Amino acid sequence: MNLAWPLTLGALLFSIGVYGVLARRNAVLVLMSIELMLNAVNVNLVAFSTWIRETIAIGQIFALFVITIAAAEVGIGLAIVLLIFRNRETINIDEIDLLKW
Amino acid sequence: MPTTLDLHAVLPEIILSGTLLAVLVVDLFLRDERKLWNSVIAMAGVLGSFWATLTLIGDHRATFNGMFVVDSFALLFKLMFLAVAALVILISANYLDEGVRSTQGEFYFLLLSSFLGMLLMASSRDFLMLFVALELVSAPGFLVAGFKKRDARSNEAAVKFFLFGVLSTAVMLFGMSLIYGVTKSTNLVAVGQALAHPAARSEPLIVASILFIVAGFGFKVSAVPFHFWAPDTYEGSPVPVAAFLSVASKAAGFAGLLQLMFVAFPHQSNVWAPGFAIMAVATMTLGNIVALAQTNIVRLLAYSSIAQAGYMLLPFAVVGGAGPAVMRQAFAASLTYILIYSFMNLGAFAVVIVVNRKRSSNLIADYDGLMSREPGLTTAMLFFLLSLAGIPPLAGFWAKFFVFSAAINGNAAWLAAVMVLNSVIGLYYYLSIGARMVLRPAEDQSRIGVPFALAAAIILLVIIVVAVGVFPDFFNHFSPRSTLVAL
Amino acid sequence: MILAATGPEIAFWGFAVVAGIAGFFVVGSRNVVHAALYLVGVLGSVGAIYIVLGAEFVGWVQILIYVGAIVVLLLFGIMLTKAPIGGVALDNNQRPVAFIVAATTFGGLTWIIWRTFGGTRIRLSPTRTAQIGNSLFTHFVLPFEAVSVLLLAALVGAIVLARRD
Repeated sequence: MNLAWPLTLGALLFSIGVYGVLARRNAVLVLMSIELMLNAVNVNLVAFSTWIRETIAIGQIFALFVITIAAAEVGIGLAIVLLIFRNRETINIDEIDLLKW
Repeated sequence: MPTTLDLHAVLPEIILSGTLLAVLVVDLFLRDERKLWNSVIAMAGVLGSFWATLTLIGDHRATFNGMFVVDSFALLFKLMFLAVAALVILISANYLDEGVRSTQGEFYFLLLSSFLGMLLMASSRDFLMLFVALELVSAPGFLVAGFKKRDARSNEAAVKFFLFGVLSTAVMLFGMSLIYGVTKSTNLVAVGQALAHPAARSEPLIVASILFIVAGFGFKVSAVPFHFWAPDTYEGSPVPVAAFLSVASKAAGFAGLLQLMFVAFPHQSNVWAPGFAIMAVATMTLGNIVALAQTNIVRLLAYSSIAQAGYMLLPFAVVGGAGPAVMRQAFAASLTYILIYSFMNLGAFAVVIVVNRKRSSNLIADYDGLMSREPGLTTAMLFFLLSLAGIPPLAGFWAKFFVFSAAINGNAAWLAAVMVLNSVIGLYYYLSIGARMVLRPAEDQSRIGVPFALAAAIILLVIIVVAVGVFPDFFNHFSPRSTLVAL
Repeated sequence: MILAATGPEIAFWGFAVVAGIAGFFVVGSRNVVHAALYLVGVLGSVGAIYIVLGAEFVGWVQILIYVGAIVVLLLFGIMLTKAPIGGVALDNNQRPVAFIVAATTFGGLTWIIWRTFGGTRIRLSPTRTAQIGNSLFTHFVLPFEAVSVLLLAALVGAIVLARRD
C-alpha cells in the first residue's frame, strides 16, 4: 500500500476538523471537530508505525496515549460545558461573551 | 528486555505523586473547618520533593530509555517549579478557606497534579513524554479555572481556555506525528541528529511540522497570535489560579519549547528564528499597548505577562544560523528570564490576592492610596512592579539585560531596540499603578490586613527579587552547564 | 494503481471513503445528534483502517474507547445541555472563511505529503498485541504512570465541577 494514502486521509480529517472548529457555534460540536483532528493525528502515527515497523512500535503506543488523553479531555470538557449550561441555558460560544476586549 | 529504572532520578516525582494522593485521601476524613490541613500536607510534600531534587544536584542521569533526563536544566526548572508550588499554596490558602472551602482538598490535588506534570516536563526529552507532561500540566488548569462554579465569567474562562487548549494540543500533535514519520524517532536528541541532514524533498514537511508544533506551544506561553484565551481566562478564574497559570503553566510551556527548539530543531534555526522574531515583536508590542488601556488589574497583569512572554521569546529569534556560543547564550538568557519573571509576577499577583480580600472587583482604582492603608504591602508591590519594568538593581533588570546582550551578540540589535522601546511603554503603566498607590488619596481608609501565609509569601518573594537583583550571577552558575546537544 | 490493488488496499479505500463522507457530515449536519452519529461512522471506519494496516490492538482500543465511551459521553453532554435538534442554526457566520482555511490546509498538507512520501510503500503485517504490551510496560512505563495520574485528576475535577451543590 502506498504510504501517502493513509496520510492523505489524515490530512483530510485534520482539515475537516479545522473547518468544524472555525464554523460551529455549539461547544460540543467544536469538541467533536477537535476529536476529528486528534483522529487524524492517530491515523498518521499508525500509518508511519506500520511503515517503519520497529520492534517497540512507538507510533502505535503514541496513538494509544492520544486516545487515552482524548478520553480524559472529553470528560473534562463536558463537565465544563455542563457548568455553563446550568448558569446560562446556552452553550453557543459566540453568545458567551461577558469578558470583552 | 527489562529497563533498568533509576528510582533516585524520579524521587521528586514519586514524592509529589504520593503527596497528591495523600491530600485526596486525607480530605475524605476532614471536616469543613479543618480543611486547611490539606494545604499543610501539600506543603510538606512539596518541601519533601524540593529536598529530593536538591539531592540530585550535580548528577546527570538518563533513565526510561532516554525519555527522562536529569541534568542542570531539568534540576533548575524543577527547583523553580517546586518553589513556585510552595508559594502558590501559601497564597491560595486563605482564598480557598474563605471561598470554595469544601473543595479545597480537590483544589490542592489538582494543583499538585499540574506541578507533577511540570516536574516531568522539565525532564522530558521525547515527544511522547513532552505531550503527556504537557497534558498533565494543562488538564488540571482547565479544571481549576472553572472552580468558581456559580460565576458565569469563571465558566466562560474555563470553556475558552479548554477549547483553545485542546485545539492547540491537536495541532501540535499533528506536527509531531509528521516529524516522527520523517525521522523515524520521537526522542529529541535522535530527531535533532536525523534532521541535521534532511532529504531535500522533506524540507517543506519539516518546516510545516515545526510550524504546527510551535503553534501548539505558542498557545501555552500566550504568544501572539495564540494569546486570545489569556486575558479572559485570568480575569474569570479565581485569582490564585490566574497567578498559577501566568507563572507556572507559562514556565512549563517554555521549558518544553526550549528543549524542542534547541535540541530537536537547532539545524532548522534559519527557518524558525525569523518566525520567532515576528512572534516576539508582536507579543511584546500587543501586550504592552493593550495593557495601557486596562482598568482591571488582573487583566492588566494578563497583558503584562503576555508582553513578558514576548521578551522570553526574543532569544529564540536571534539564533538563526548562529554558532554554538550564540545559541548557548540565547538559551541561557531565555531560561534566566523565565525564572526571574516567575517570581516577580507571582509577587504582584500575591498582592492582588490580598487586596482582592476586601474588594473583589479587582479594579486599578481600588489601589489608589494603598500606601496610607498598608505601607508594607505597597512597598512590596512597588518592588514587584519596578522589577517587572526592568529597573535596576532589581531582578527584572538583569533578566532584560541578559536578553539584551544575547540579542546584541546575535547580531540582532534591532530586536534589542524593540525590546527597550517596549520596556519604556511597560514602565509607563507599571509606574502609573505605583503612583496611584502612593500619591492618590484612598477612597476607603480602612486597613486590609494581610494574613500570615500571604505575608510570608510576599516577604520571601521580595527577598528573592532584591537578592537576585544584587547578586545576578546566581543563575549564571547553572545555565552554561545545561545539556545542549550537537552544538 | 487500481488494477494492482490487493485486498487490504480495497478495504482501506472503502473505509477511507466512509470516513471522509461521514466527516463532512459531522461538521455540516444541522442536527447535533446526527452529527454525533456521523462521528461514530468516522471513528469506526478509522478503527477498521487501523486493523487493515495491521495495528490490531490500537484498532480495537479505538472502537472500545472512542466509539464505546467518548461518543457516549458526548451524547450525554448533548442530552443534558438540551442541544438544538433542527431549527436553530448551528453554524456561525464564519463559514466561508472557515472553508477557505480548511481547504488551504488540506491542499497544502496533501502537496507536502505526496512530495515527501509519494512513492513509499508499506509492507503490511500485523503487529502482535504481546509486542505492544511488552513495549508499553517496559519502554513506556513512565508516560503510562503519568497518564494514570492525569486520568485521576480528570475524574476528580470533572466530578467537582459537574456535581450539583
